[in-house]
Amino acid sequence: MSHQWGMAIDLDRCTGCEACVVACHAENNISTVGEEQAELRRAKHWIRVERYYEGEFPDVTVKFMPVFCQQCDAAPCEPVCPTFASYHTSEGLNGQVYNRCIGTRYCANACPYVVRYFNFYNPVWDKPLHLQLNPDVSVREVGVMEKCTFCVQRIKAGEIQAEAEKRELKDGAIQPACVQSCPTRAMVFGDLSDPESEVSRLAHSGRSTKLLGELGTRPKVNYLPRDSWHGNEIS
Amino acid sequence: MLRSAFRVSHYSRVAIAIGVVVLGLAILERVLPAQGTGSSPSAQSPDVFTTAHRTVSDSVREFFGLREKPVQPIAYTHKVHLGNGMQCTDCHVGVDQGPDARIPSVNFCMTCHQVIATDKPEIKKLAAYRARGEDIPWQRVYGFEPSAHVKFNHAPHIRAGVDCSVCHGDMRQQTVAERKVDHTMGFCLNCHRQKNVSVDCVTCHF
Amino acid sequence: MERRDFLKISAVAGATAALEGCGNPDHQLIRFVPEEDLLPGIATWKPSICTLCPAGCGLLVRVMQGEAEVIRNGQLGLLKMGLAKKLEGNPAHPINQGKLCPRGQAGLQVTYHPDRIKAPLARNGPRGSGQFREVSWDDAIKQLVSQLSDLQTVKPAGGLAIVTSPLRGQKKTIVSAFAAAFKNSMPMEFAFFDDGVLRAANGASFGHSLPPTVDLGQSNYVISFGADFLGTWNSPVAQSLAFGHMRKGRPGVRGKFVQFEPRISQTGASADEWIPVQPGAEGILALGLAHVIIAEKLRSASAAGHAGSLIEGWSQGLPDYAPEKIAAQTGVKSETITRIAREAAAHDPAVALIGDAATAQTNGLFNALAVNALNALLGSVGKPGGVTFSPSSNLKESNLSLQALASQINSGAAGVKVLLLYNANPVFGTPAAWGVRAALDKIPFIASFGSFIDDSSALADLILPDHSSLESWLDDAPVSGSAKTVVSVAPPAMNPLHNTRSMPDVLLGVAHQLGGDLARSLPWKTYDEAIQASFTALYKEKGSETAKDADEFWKTAQDQGGWWSSEEVKAVTAGGSSAASPKTAAPQFDGDPSEYRFHFLPFASQLFYDGSLAHLPWMQEAPDPLSTVMWGTWIEINPRTAEKLGVNQGDLVEVASQHGKLQAPALIAPGIAPDVVAMPVGQGHENFTRYASGRGANPISILSPVSVEGTGSLAWAATRVKLSRAGKGKLILFGGSLSEASPELKHR
Repeated sequence: MSHQWGMAIDLDRCTGCEACVVACHAENNISTVGEEQAELRRAKHWIRVERYYEGEFPDVTVKFMPVFCQQCDAAPCEPVCPTFASYHTSEGLNGQVYNRCIGTRYCANACPYVVRYFNFYNPVWDKPLHLQLNPDVSVREVGVMEKCTFCVQRIKAGEIQAEAEKRELKDGAIQPACVQSCPTRAMVFGDLSDPESEVSRLAHSGRSTKLLGELGTRPKVNYLPRDSWHGNEIS
Repeated sequence: MLRSAFRVSHYSRVAIAIGVVVLGLAILERVLPAQGTGSSPSAQSPDVFTTAHRTVSDSVREFFGLREKPVQPIAYTHKVHLGNGMQCTDCHVGVDQGPDARIPSVNFCMTCHQVIATDKPEIKKLAAYRARGEDIPWQRVYGFEPSAHVKFNHAPHIRAGVDCSVCHGDMRQQTVAERKVDHTMGFCLNCHRQKNVSVDCVTCHF
Repeated sequence: MERRDFLKISAVAGATAALEGCGNPDHQLIRFVPEEDLLPGIATWKPSICTLCPAGCGLLVRVMQGEAEVIRNGQLGLLKMGLAKKLEGNPAHPINQGKLCPRGQAGLQVTYHPDRIKAPLARNGPRGSGQFREVSWDDAIKQLVSQLSDLQTVKPAGGLAIVTSPLRGQKKTIVSAFAAAFKNSMPMEFAFFDDGVLRAANGASFGHSLPPTVDLGQSNYVISFGADFLGTWNSPVAQSLAFGHMRKGRPGVRGKFVQFEPRISQTGASADEWIPVQPGAEGILALGLAHVIIAEKLRSASAAGHAGSLIEGWSQGLPDYAPEKIAAQTGVKSETITRIAREAAAHDPAVALIGDAATAQTNGLFNALAVNALNALLGSVGKPGGVTFSPSSNLKESNLSLQALASQINSGAAGVKVLLLYNANPVFGTPAAWGVRAALDKIPFIASFGSFIDDSSALADLILPDHSSLESWLDDAPVSGSAKTVVSVAPPAMNPLHNTRSMPDVLLGVAHQLGGDLARSLPWKTYDEAIQASFTALYKEKGSETAKDADEFWKTAQDQGGWWSSEEVKAVTAGGSSAASPKTAAPQFDGDPSEYRFHFLPFASQLFYDGSLAHLPWMQEAPDPLSTVMWGTWIEINPRTAEKLGVNQGDLVEVASQHGKLQAPALIAPGIAPDVVAMPVGQGHENFTRYASGRGANPISILSPVSVEGTGSLAWAATRVKLSRAGKGKLILFGGSLSEASPELKHR
């Protein structure tokens, strides 16, 4: 059985610091759009931290939730793409094939998580900021949709390395940039088809929920909601 | 010839006209200045890196996959070097470790050529580059258009035992490297299918 | 002809018509022979140190071959060189154990910033005009040496001021030696968010003049008084790692976290209970908790030892701090005080933290001493799950304060002839009321070692640009975040891009040219020699299980990013000083409350920290975690207050203290007390690269020049302001507004 990549996010650990957001920009050659375009809501944060305020002063609570492409097994973005640029890979990812994309933006329209971003203009880096660009990841041009890929370049590199060394991939060996950076270890990435993996364990922990699961998208990200304090009993 | 073209119906003519306009716009869009970050520089400025093309002709060339024949600064001959018993990997180091097959710097060439064939005009050119502290500006022979978004990785292919000549032709018959093998997607897929290796899009396009 | 042929022909004809000349290569730049032997496409990982905040996290830098435009012998060309591509935490480093905060990730943009100073500059117009011309390093150093040697010959010697960020490691040694060589010189370590109050309190209570290292991971109950320990305070990554462990790292056990502060911070957002407290009343509240614990005999008052004895009334059981007596002053209900106190006492180990605004009030030292006493009472000091102290012996000497220096210069009492600036931006980071800008104008010669033109270095006469940290030799001795002894070291991760030089190397060179005692006190030619000397000394002191001699010890340290003890060092915390502890329990605020009706609360930005990172485009575009604001600044106002003032979201609000005014767009924020307004520190630079210049407003500028009693630190949370609507403003939000009723999270 091939790997089926998934993630688990423990919202009881997440502090909303956005290390994941910046790490993703650094790893995936996401360009900065600038003040004008940001005002038009065109900033391309492949992973964003949503925060929800509840209550009125003085009884205020805030909850954080990192949201990114859920790599849905029944992805609404896949059937609407006229060129199959958005398709489901054999390892359970929603692949975005930039060279096929003709920029109809139907996929972004269909996505209920609002995690697909369009390049309205050719991206620009004031030199020498471009020296930071990751050679393992494409630089997307105008007219192309982009989104979180679960750092597919790292997945590929890990698989190729394991094959070269003639060994199995260890659970936790591959970490997307966001998972690698998270200071509270709130994010876990792994193989959902491996019942011993950390992500499988968390997915079946009984605390796991899916975002907008009732829409039938079958997302691969398991959110473990913030817990509450029960004194010193087993929680 | 023209007369038969004009026999095309009115609606077909409109469709053709729209198609040509759309094609033109698609090409033009890739040349448009981009939105900057704090400043708004144009695509032509040497101060920014952008995916925008410098000119319309560059854009058209990329769109149709037209590439000029590379003109090398020095008439390097594979025939002679391979004929003298060298291996591909003597110069193209790293091809079994990572994605790229390195073309060595002029220092590497000079380790031999400070004594070998020093009277030949091409070797004199080589020595002149080194004397000036310049590396040789080799022109790329094989490669993919940026908009193809191909991330080719040499190492798994070498490890799988694919010989260099399968994709690059028999270099022992070539002097300067030429594009003898056309790297269309079909070329890659044929072999992948034969060897029963993944043909998933994200294997190469990401 | 067939239609298909027609289309093919017209397409090709059209394309050919559009073609200009062929074979025109984009780059006419020459290629330099590579200076390094690298394989393209293959990454190597090199250790480094993050220098963007005082935590001192260890880095691993992913280095790959790339092609950069560089200048060699005056000629522009392309060079294949190793380039840093990604920063990650060093898994072996005890402080951050492989993790990194958003600012650390953005550090990459400092090296590649388009507005970096690429060569030495000399002023070429009126001061502050921004007109500079490039000069050679020889000329620049000659000029600096001549200015300094003039100072050595003037009697009485002196008139040298050195303003740097807080320094550690051999940089501190070198700068201190420099300062010591000039009589009456004034070395000054300056940072807006400095830890002076905490150090003073911890020195008094426990004998360790250091910020605390908190073992949150083993704690069962954490009470924070305003400390943004998951975001910007002290050692955020180490604390975040521990926090994650406290929550979900121990099967069956989940620690509770309570945050007391007037405005919900990013850290407060993760609390199980977020309880607003009146600004400055944190110390009183802490003593209220202590009162309950003592009164209900949950601990004995003597358990607090020396730390308790510093608090007036401690041995009598703190009669003035009964919950009913302090409820109004703290704004916390007495039932809540009682309940929290009981919970903390019942869930050992319990630990309290204090920081940020709570220690930046006029009674900040008192507040910190109170929390120290509470910790001692709870029995968490020097124990697992509680507060301990790093074995680092980095004692800060008492500093002349920048405020005092500025006022002496402005009044003519002090004559500073030469100012050296390194990694500090005092024009931006001090209240306008201190008059630092005017003082700098009176200094005849200012030299800056910075990499960027900012509000302060714009006034320089000479700029000797430093390498970026990734291009430098680095060493560090972190002062918190781990109970192990940690000494970090890293060789440069990449070669310099521009014609810059390492600041300590320049100082060493200048010292040798000046000669005399100064040269003798700095016997090294380069900075790495100095670091190696410190490691040889470390080897002699600590020994090593693996290295057979000092050279091998030095090499291993470079390979792994430093040296750290294998065991945690237990801090002895029984002692402490009896320095005069402040008696004033209540805070004082500047500004008549009838006119200046609001408390003004600046806070550290998650992205810009103290403003020193506002020039990084990733930081400008990353949405602020709580507000989601991008490319701007804002002022947080309670919804009821906004309604009363007639202010809507996005409206421009004028904020005026007794010492200045500014304008910022309003953000309606539920999590802030009705009489408090808050503003992030970081924007409002007059001058700081194309991304941050002239953007937003700087809350530091309008602060009142009041001090924390018993220390020289600025009480930056003690200013009162008045508000008025000033027209329409602009807020760029990535998310929605905060005041919409948020739906239940759509989970199934």
